[in-house]
Amino acid sequence: MTENVHHAGPGPGPLLSIRELHTSVSTRGESFDVVRNLNLDIYSNEILCLVGESGCGKSITALSVMGLLPTPPVRVGSGEILFKGTDLLKLGKRPMRKIRADAISMIFQDPLTSLDPVFTVGSLITEVIRAHRDMGAHDARELAGDVLAKVGLPDPAKRLDSYPHQLSGGMRQRVMIALALVLDPDILIADEPTTALDVTVQAQILDQLMHEQRERHMSMLLITHDLAVVAAVADRVAVMYAGEIVEQAPVDQLFDDPRHPYTQGLLRALPQVTVKRKRLDPIPGLVPPPQMMPPGCRFSPRCPHAIETCWNEHPDLTDTTDNRIFRCFNPQPFTS
Amino acid sequence: MKRVIARTAYMVIVLVLSSIAVFYAIRLSGGDAVAARVPASASAEEREAVREQLGLNDPFHQQYFDYVGSILSGDLGNSLTNNARISTLIAEHGKNSLILGVAAFVLVFGLGIPLGLLASLRRNSWWDGGIMSFSVAGMAVPNFWLALLAVWLFASVLGWLPSAGCCGPKQLVLPSVVLAMEGMALTVRMTRSAMLENLNQDFVRTLRAGGLSEVRVVVKHVFRNALVPIVSLAGLRIGQIVGYALVVETIFGWPGLGQVLVNAVLRRDYPVAQFFSLVLIAIVLLSNWLADVGYTVVNPRLRKA
Repeated sequence: MTENVHHAGPGPGPLLSIRELHTSVSTRGESFDVVRNLNLDIYSNEILCLVGESGCGKSITALSVMGLLPTPPVRVGSGEILFKGTDLLKLGKRPMRKIRADAISMIFQDPLTSLDPVFTVGSLITEVIRAHRDMGAHDARELAGDVLAKVGLPDPAKRLDSYPHQLSGGMRQRVMIALALVLDPDILIADEPTTALDVTVQAQILDQLMHEQRERHMSMLLITHDLAVVAAVADRVAVMYAGEIVEQAPVDQLFDDPRHPYTQGLLRALPQVTVKRKRLDPIPGLVPPPQMMPPGCRFSPRCPHAIETCWNEHPDLTDTTDNRIFRCFNPQPFTS
Repeated sequence: MKRVIARTAYMVIVLVLSSIAVFYAIRLSGGDAVAARVPASASAEEREAVREQLGLNDPFHQQYFDYVGSILSGDLGNSLTNNARISTLIAEHGKNSLILGVAAFVLVFGLGIPLGLLASLRRNSWWDGGIMSFSVAGMAVPNFWLALLAVWLFASVLGWLPSAGCCGPKQLVLPSVVLAMEGMALTVRMTRSAMLENLNQDFVRTLRAGGLSEVRVVVKHVFRNALVPIVSLAGLRIGQIVGYALVVETIFGWPGLGQVLVNAVLRRDYPVAQFFSLVLIAIVLLSNWLADVGYTVVNPRLRKA
């Protein structure tokens, strides 16, 4: 799992590079950043996990990349999203449409509501194919059947004529995966792809996604709040808090030696089979709403190690001598 | 399929029950059918003879079964007032009503849906405001009042259109617009809200993520989903058109089924009133049945899994 790890520095450039992205929400004339100064690189053939609690800006980051933000009220303020050197934020509507599904695909959390209920599975996939490829209806349908078979949908030929409501949750998510992968994209963004599914089905869908990533040598940005999922699939991890990345590391380093107190808190809040504890150890307090961000470190109100500086100054992402990236003035060693 | 059969059976039951209701209601409504057939100077004996001849002295259920029997054998009977054959009346006036009804139907959906689409796609614009105000007015103004206003403005003041008559295109304008107004207003609102609701669905994001053009997403997918509630209530809209036709045909002197029915009721012309009521009921039931079947077609979730 670690052979694909990339570090900042020399080597092949990133496939997708998000530079200083600011995305904001406007309400009643006021505008707040929900994603602030975000830098994130995705290299080819890796699984990057974006972790954080609900509302921290993970999905907004993904939708910014896809150009699918609900505008208004959410819009990208500034920054660059470079895909193979092209800034996606500067692309016109039509070229951006060509990028979607063909180069960068996305699957969503709830497969029940994410498929148009009045069209058959086959016609949905066929329509996506024919929006990008000059292909006859018959060939497109054949390709749709093939991809459904590849993503492990039982009886794919018959399922082409099924409506979404005739499928189970897991089968629907497989259809979503087929829809996203049918054009063989370079990057798959999966936004909480297993959260709405039964636990047993979750593992199957994750396995399928990992299998597809390996087979197709594509990159995957997996958005999740489930650290067990991260541990199982990630090559690298970026942890987000209140619209910012607070720590970024290869998965082993992150779990063995987390540097940011928020990451440490997340790991401490995990139930562990090997350690006998009466209660779990949650992080106290709540994420501040975007209009009430503290002036210093955004995590300072909830941080056990906050010092004077944390309240007044905003920490930058530090690149330490041992090549670790995190955003903290007063890092402490991790104790579980 | 099961649903279609159940709907058909339901339609037949309602038709039978309403035929009994109509039959009974007309006999309870007072007045005397005999008076219309005999001269005012006729003696009590002469009146009684006519009553006997018309079968009005038989018990109620006897009259009902005789009546149903004769309808089923193809004999619709004659009008009590002018002895015209009811089948001829239906054919003559039915054609006029059909013209008016189809024109209103086309306005309700052919104009209501595009206006609703425009309002939803230009939400909170002047277009939206104008269309929605028009729609609120259309629902609030009763059609008889609208009819009088329309006659006053377009016929009396402006002199653009005839106030009454049949059956050219010019005479058709006012009655069909008045007849369609409320249904059209409701269709506009429903189209707008169904479009806005479906534009916010998760599946729209999936389709956009699939690289489909915005026109395709909106026209093919969102609109197709929005059609489900519109079609499901199409039967009600047709029922509305049929019901309002009584008022509108009478005001505009449009010689359709509604006008004949209103006159028949006023003159206690039982056979005509009865049969015309039944015809209107049958039309409403049939259109509801069609809407139900159509609903199954546009909504795959109702078809067998």
